[in-house]
Amino acid sequence: MEFEAVIGLEIHIELNCPTKMFCDCPNDPGAAPNANTCPICLWFPGAIPQFSQAALEKAALLCLALGGELQPRSAFDQKVYYYPDLPKGYQLSQAHHPLSRGGGIDIADEDGARKRLRIHHIHMEEDVAKLVHELEGRTPISLVDFNRAGAPLVEIVTEPDLRTPHHAMEFLKVLRTQGRYAGASECSMENGTMRVDANISVRPRGTEQMNTKVEVKNMNSIRHVGDAIAYEIGRQSAAVQAGEAVVLHTRLWDPDKKATFPMRAKFEGPCIPDPAAPVIELSPAWIETMRSRLPEMPAPRAERFVSRYGLAGEEATYLSADPELAAYFEALIEAGIAPRTAMHWLTTQLAPALKDRGRELGNSPVTPRRLAALLHLLSRDEINAQAAREVLAALFESDADPEEIVRSRGFRQVSDRDALGELIDKVLEANQTAVNDYRNGQDKAMGFIIGQVMQASRGKANPKIIREILATKLTSGR
Amino acid sequence: METIFAYLPPRTDPLADGAPPGLRTAIQPCLSVAGWPTDAGAPALADYAALEDATVVSRLRQAGATLVGLTRTGEFGFGLTGSQAGMAVRSGAADLELVVDLAGESRLAAARAGIWGFKPSWGTVSRFGVIGLIPSMECCGILAGDAPPIGEFLRAAAGPDERDFSLPDEEAPDLSGGRVAAGETTVGVVVEALDALPSPAREAFRASLATLTAAGFALREVSLPDFPLFALVHQIVGAVEASSSAGRYDSVRYGRRSPGAKNWNEMYLLSRGAAFGTLLKSYLFQGAYFQFEAYEAYENACRIRARLLAAMAAATSQADFLVLPATNPAAPAKAATPEDIYAQSRFTAFANVTGQPALYLPPPSGEDRPGWQLTGPRRSDARLLAAGEHLRGILQGGE
Repeated sequence: MEFEAVIGLEIHIELNCPTKMFCDCPNDPGAAPNANTCPICLWFPGAIPQFSQAALEKAALLCLALGGELQPRSAFDQKVYYYPDLPKGYQLSQAHHPLSRGGGIDIADEDGARKRLRIHHIHMEEDVAKLVHELEGRTPISLVDFNRAGAPLVEIVTEPDLRTPHHAMEFLKVLRTQGRYAGASECSMENGTMRVDANISVRPRGTEQMNTKVEVKNMNSIRHVGDAIAYEIGRQSAAVQAGEAVVLHTRLWDPDKKATFPMRAKFEGPCIPDPAAPVIELSPAWIETMRSRLPEMPAPRAERFVSRYGLAGEEATYLSADPELAAYFEALIEAGIAPRTAMHWLTTQLAPALKDRGRELGNSPVTPRRLAALLHLLSRDEINAQAAREVLAALFESDADPEEIVRSRGFRQVSDRDALGELIDKVLEANQTAVNDYRNGQDKAMGFIIGQVMQASRGKANPKIIREILATKLTSGR
Repeated sequence: METIFAYLPPRTDPLADGAPPGLRTAIQPCLSVAGWPTDAGAPALADYAALEDATVVSRLRQAGATLVGLTRTGEFGFGLTGSQAGMAVRSGAADLELVVDLAGESRLAAARAGIWGFKPSWGTVSRFGVIGLIPSMECCGILAGDAPPIGEFLRAAAGPDERDFSLPDEEAPDLSGGRVAAGETTVGVVVEALDALPSPAREAFRASLATLTAAGFALREVSLPDFPLFALVHQIVGAVEASSSAGRYDSVRYGRRSPGAKNWNEMYLLSRGAAFGTLLKSYLFQGAYFQFEAYEAYENACRIRARLLAAMAAATSQADFLVLPATNPAAPAKAATPEDIYAQSRFTAFANVTGQPALYLPPPSGEDRPGWQLTGPRRSDARLLAAGEHLRGILQGGE
């Protein structure tokens, strides 16, 4: 029997707001333990939650970026359970009246066909504290860090429209892009600002039934989500084939063992309306204001890159997936760089250079203005590609202009035909074997000779002119 | 003094130079006073000192009031058992007392002490710093020997507070009062409330209303067939909210931690077991039952609450204000269970369910007649106080 999976995702995204959701404490969980706490987020007697406008705005932007319909009225509920990471004994979450309903994400499925993955709803909730279990001597102790308690989150709940690990990974990639464009979150699974739980069940392909699902947690990259889902589909399919029943439970992904393992059942408490947190009422005018704050989103931007700049679809999608990268690209074009050159240098030179240095585009010392200046030198043949790469490296070390670096380090390309002719004669004389090889029809000897000339010029020779001179000098004797 | 007060500060706040002496105010420790042991009378908060003043406290201070001390209270101010509410005013030790009114405590304490008790409209007085149990129903209640200190309190403390986001988004209520004239005022009598009084209290209450007719007020019978449901809805919704509110007392961040636990789960059980008295535990168990086992009943109670609000709005629209009894002679004097508290609150819980203001007007001293509970629509606080003052004048034969 052939099986297919039915998959739904529940994704928590931490909003990049300056403060927590219900108090003015900095939203900085990484600070010294319990540095960012106050009587509200520690829930002292007499405290009343103060809802953050910034959290609402970021959440709304994200909902709109995902095509969700912001609800005119939403409200917070208390998700009741008792655990030391929960200062109130309940978590404020929008269980009954979510901020947004509907929406979805378009992905390319395995065959490249467009597939719509629908979102059921998006709601806001507060994060919980962090528990650290340690040993004090031989005594196990539990420590609680409340810096994260009350941090603003949204939870995105999809419809069970996904069928494959590919769907899940593509969904998350697009979601990450939309979240970054909306300016709502970094959406990084590695940094924990995006956390994904997958609900998975299997059924015989071609049937429509909904079988018992298993929830899988603890994936900390998009790749792991795909791996965990693939593993779980295999595990459940094998179980069903062996006649075992799938029971409702939660499993943890173990990235080292590449397998999922059952976890202790988590207690699911009730959700009752919270009497203290304000009800959120959104006017159509406010929603339109939020909508107008969204930038051009990645899909239309990629289309524009194809039609206006002649990029290939894949290149355009790659560039537009990251709002900073896309903006950098357009800044280069604005500075007069040809789209193909800009695309090529961004992806093959600048991106790896940044990665090697552990830097991000946002804090790169190589600004679009400096890279454009460098590329202008290259296009005017004032330097060759090899020198341009070295200048790029130098741009990371100093804040001098590319022109200055070229001047001070002597990178200027030698295009003087007489000087190069003399140099080439010397190289040919010293490499008679290669010259003979070439003349005997071994074309690849040419590459070796060019390399020797470049080396003799200490990288400064204009390769185009070397080729021209060599062509004349060598073919004459061939 | 020790029988009334749980805490007396070493010296009273010095008065600002030349300022007139302000209201001497006794505070129930369910309202936060910075640095004072505002423990809400609860073992859960033993040794707890508030970090900040409640908004009502800081606003009273700004208006020149002097805080005389913290009164004794039962756990979280719920019910009157263990509470000395009203006694500071009655004994002359204070001009004003602030208590938390969860189900009618301010009006019941006033009836017990023979003084005035007032529960403002929900949302007109900030709850910031109120250590409560039932957020959607509780508010700061006021006790005084007469109407003026209550008016003074409202003028000082009512109105929007940026620290209480749960306040409705509306203007401060009009506290200028307004004239009440007998000839143009209709008093509604809630029939079903009277019917719920046992005999002979019912007859005595009816008889007391003759004073109103004699003074020229028009009396009108107003029907609220679901009146008995107010207390029931209060108990279900209140218990659920209390269960949630008390969730914070886990001894992780503050409060007394019971020794001997081997893990946090045991620590929870031991500490929470010691944090609450028997009566409160019963109430919290009731709330947890509705949360975890009978959620539908809670949802129904919320729906019925909405219906009761509409019925009460219809009732208050038929008269300038309503008059009801405040105390239930059939209730046990001391409450040992939540049911006892709800028996005591049978005639007062409605105002906490709906959020409307309610005033207890004591009979003139020395007279053996029932006190009156007056109520009107939400935000009619000033008018209700004015009506109380007018009636007091009539009762004392002044007008």
